[in-house]
Amino acid sequence: MDTSPILSIFLPAIFAVFLTSFTLYIVRIVKGPTVFDMALAVDCLAFDLAVFIALLSLYYDTPFLIAGAIALALWAYILDIYISKYFLTKELGGRK
Amino acid sequence: MKMFEPLEYIILALGMILVAIGAFCDLAGALGMVRFPNFFVRLHAATVGSIGGAVIPLIGVALIALVSDQLGFFKWAISGGALVAALIILLVAPAGSHALAYSAHKSRAVPVEPKVCDLLEEHERMKAERKVSEEGDET
Repeated sequence: MDTSPILSIFLPAIFAVFLTSFTLYIVRIVKGPTVFDMALAVDCLAFDLAVFIALLSLYYDTPFLIAGAIALALWAYILDIYISKYFLTKELGGRK
Repeated sequence: MKMFEPLEYIILALGMILVAIGAFCDLAGALGMVRFPNFFVRLHAATVGSIGGAVIPLIGVALIALVSDQLGFFKWAISGGALVAALIILLVAPAGSHALAYSAHKSRAVPVEPKVCDLLEEHERMKAERKVSEEGDET
């Protein structure tokens, strides 16, 4: 089944919603009073970028974009772990 | 192999509904992220934005890609990649936000502001008092 006529109408509407929420997350990243707020917003932004890339790969009919989505999903978790480790032990990598 | 034609329409509709639900949850999470008063309340918005706004639309993308024959053989690649990314986010997002919340409470970097009762803080204080009294007994 050729879904491109349906998707060419459906996906731009979804893109608009996602771009709006990107701007709202960026507002929180810039404003955020503490580092934890910024880290939380960057988390959500990275997960949403993964979804956005997956939708773009449907929109442009190319499979090469989907590999970036998996890497983005893992990257945000590493940020979380590093920030929480730093604030708990005030150092990274060592033992205390 | 040709799939039964109405089944393809059902899968496409299901995927589009999932993507639309995900877009709504994402917008709700982003609004909460801006409007909520402090970090521990914003954790709720972040979880709505990451599970509802990322896992569900990725499963929808996987379903849409399964029936999109214009992609050719690569539809399996897009579908599998989206499913794997959804599984990774489903495992990783709660663990990450829990680690952030634990370290924010433990390091006292964020005040627990609208507070009714804080059992974790009481537990830490009781542990510290017990340690002090044990040291007092030894000397």
